[in-house]
Amino acid sequence: MSDGHSWHSDVALEEGRPAYLPRGLKRVPRGVDELATEHLVLNMGPQHPSTHGVLHVLIELDGEEVISAEASLGYLHRGIEKLAESRRYHQVATLLDRADYVSGLHTETAFALATEKLAGIEVPWRASWLRSLAMELNRYASHLVWLGTFGMDAGAMAPFLYIMRDREMILDILEEWCGSRMMFNYVRPGGVFADIPAGLDAKIRAWLRVADSYLDDNDALLGGNEIFQARIRGTGLIDAATALAFGMTGGCLRASGVDYDLRRDVPYCAYGELDFEVPLGVNGDNLDRYTVRVGEMRQCLRLIRQLVDGVPEGDFTAKVPKVFRPPAGESYAAVESPRGELGIHIVSDGGLTPYRMRLRSPAYFNLAIVDEALAGGLVADAIVTLGSLDIVLGEIDR
Amino acid sequence: MPAHQPADVLGIAGIACTAAEEGLGSVVRLDADRILDALAALQTVGYDFLVDLFGTDTGERIELTYHLRAFATHEDIYLKVLVDYDGEAASVWHVHPAALYPEREAAELLGMSFPGHPNPKRLLTTDDLPPMLRKAELIREAGEVQLPYE
Amino acid sequence: MNIAIEILVRFLAMVALLLVNGVVLIYMLRKVLGHLHLRIGPNRVGPFGLLQTTNDVIKLLTKEDLRPAAADAWLFNIAPFLVFVPSFMAYIPLVFGPELAVTRLDTGILVIFAVLSLVPIGIMMAGWASNSKWSLIGGMRAAGQQIAYEIPLLLSVLGPVMMAGSMDPSAIVAAQSGTWFGFIPRWFVLPQIIGFVVYAISAQAETQQTPFDMSEAESELITGFANEYGGMRFGFLYLAEFSNMFIVAAVGTMLFFGGWQLPWIETPGWAAPFVFILKTYIGIFTMMWARGSLPRFRVDQMLAFCWKRLIPISLTWVVVWACIQRLAFEAAIR
Repeated sequence: MSDGHSWHSDVALEEGRPAYLPRGLKRVPRGVDELATEHLVLNMGPQHPSTHGVLHVLIELDGEEVISAEASLGYLHRGIEKLAESRRYHQVATLLDRADYVSGLHTETAFALATEKLAGIEVPWRASWLRSLAMELNRYASHLVWLGTFGMDAGAMAPFLYIMRDREMILDILEEWCGSRMMFNYVRPGGVFADIPAGLDAKIRAWLRVADSYLDDNDALLGGNEIFQARIRGTGLIDAATALAFGMTGGCLRASGVDYDLRRDVPYCAYGELDFEVPLGVNGDNLDRYTVRVGEMRQCLRLIRQLVDGVPEGDFTAKVPKVFRPPAGESYAAVESPRGELGIHIVSDGGLTPYRMRLRSPAYFNLAIVDEALAGGLVADAIVTLGSLDIVLGEIDR
Repeated sequence: MPAHQPADVLGIAGIACTAAEEGLGSVVRLDADRILDALAALQTVGYDFLVDLFGTDTGERIELTYHLRAFATHEDIYLKVLVDYDGEAASVWHVHPAALYPEREAAELLGMSFPGHPNPKRLLTTDDLPPMLRKAELIREAGEVQLPYE
Repeated sequence: MNIAIEILVRFLAMVALLLVNGVVLIYMLRKVLGHLHLRIGPNRVGPFGLLQTTNDVIKLLTKEDLRPAAADAWLFNIAPFLVFVPSFMAYIPLVFGPELAVTRLDTGILVIFAVLSLVPIGIMMAGWASNSKWSLIGGMRAAGQQIAYEIPLLLSVLGPVMMAGSMDPSAIVAAQSGTWFGFIPRWFVLPQIIGFVVYAISAQAETQQTPFDMSEAESELITGFANEYGGMRFGFLYLAEFSNMFIVAAVGTMLFFGGWQLPWIETPGWAAPFVFILKTYIGIFTMMWARGSLPRFRVDQMLAFCWKRLIPISLTWVVVWACIQRLAFEAAIR
């Protein structure tokens, strides 16, 4: 990546061609040559079944081959960063649930960790443990959504509905626990909102008894299918250097062979105490992203087993004053969300509300690779590759 | 830990800066016109991953924060530069392509520009929307908004 | 009987069969896919949701006939009928019983595939005239796909035709009566198993169903060539698709599964059409089953599969079978 760069920017700009040149759309003008073919610019989205929300991708096509692609964002922009400046620290979690609506607990936890770091709050061990348990359940649910929609993008309708059945079981557990299926508002600065209800661990264990076989079924139904394998093998290649340069994190980065997982490398909550592996890919194609995520789901079940068995005694929240004013300063905390490194950067001026809150959204950075990953493939590959990146537009647009 | 402290590296490269350990971590403040050189210099000593780039309205100017990480050692540093309202900071995309989106976002949401950006369009908001992350832009309730067709 | 009345009756019977088939097949598709997908399918309108499709047909008929402003009006309007008419014509040579067919054609099988080969023209026209990029890609894919898969489809038909020594559907069905060695039904699927597999795959592609539904490709092209159609024009496009499904299943039944004949026993004349429809519907169910459980090929993989696998296999099989029949079994199977 640093080849050809000197420390003097003017030299770097003139002599060394930058390693990654955004290509942009280059439409061949009509009329230059009678026989010249014209590239077709296809507007994929914002209303399209496979853009997972309201993403708009401009795809330049030569026949069916993608020449270049450009993502156009912002259809779901609600100004969450601005709105957070008007909310007290306990109220921000409500907004953050809406940012990544598939795995809200991760965003909430990142915010709580950043606030605790800022104010120096000591979190009870039980609270950290419960956070980890809830997050892992939510990660599994989020990966299930990804698995189902990924199959749908490749035209496999049936696995999606089988997967939704499994996700429904987790959402039932989370609903009983947090009071909501997706907009949890459960993790607060200092701990969690409520203790785990009595008897819920039995339900989680009951689910765990079938979860493995369901996952095996779904994996066999989708990943074991030769047509599906032919679709995802070797398409959407992203090499490790490109992935790092574009700031990719999470499963997409690990699929490119970079061994990096915040849960293991910078442990937060209860992850330092837990035993798990980090699945890795080799080439960074869609098949690798598939195997890495499915492997992550298996590790997820392993983590949930450890977490549910070892819930420690203690308080579920630290004492945090109702009128909460953290000292002036800044803090950054990140969690490994299902999509990658989800960081919250808080700037405080000592007031009741954050002075500035920045959400470092993993899917936002993962999506920036769209041109690199899609160019050279076919339209059908473009859809599958977009699906493999596991984008959630609520988090990208914020 | 990388062999070099960020401040030393920047000093060798001839870039004036002030380094401090704050609650956030290792924070380096420098002039906005040297940010590109600074990132290129830091990249050669291992700070090769741009975690995030965002701007904050300090009330007087815009403070851009470049969150860098030495990927091999999981060590974070924060580069901060101050830019005037409607001011400029060089685009760093050809050192860190990860900056392509956040620069566009910062430009539209804080009202500034990044010369050298290959695709300086708006990213999240539509045209004619004021830079919403400035403190002067107030959050209004639904009743306070005058819709154009009413 | 007056010849005019006879023609009218035959024609109306064909229309009625086609429409009823369409309605039943749509209901069946929804129910089959529903149960494959852990859902229930339609269950609100009428008992077991039976009236759901009727409801939808009424909706389609009463909908406003919209046409995009930039579409090529003449082609846009005519395309659904160009898709629909060939599949309607293909009903003519089907034999539903010993004496039950719209008309008896000596080259019935050839006629069916000849008229069905007109369908891609209509689909391409629909894709082009819609003046939508998605429709255009869908139309082009459909044309490429159908032209490619017609070749193995026709080659796979040659085996049964050689065995029966005729292209007349009645003769082919009649040749499958009785048993081999006294207990194996004389259905052509047993000696022609390779031809049948090729036929089944090509038929799935010819009717554009998953895993070969690239021309519609819900998740890629948002129903492709049918994108801009609404109301009954859309209805015709889909009626044609379901009627094609019935035709390929019916032809498969005639060629490989003894048509209207029951195995081992003499089929009473009144039961023949029911046996035939039942066999055809079993074939359709299998097609729907594949549709509900498989992901979609990519367009280049699908074409490569056709040109590099199916066509060589079916060509080789035709040659091999011709040799076998000539040298070894001429006496045994006649």
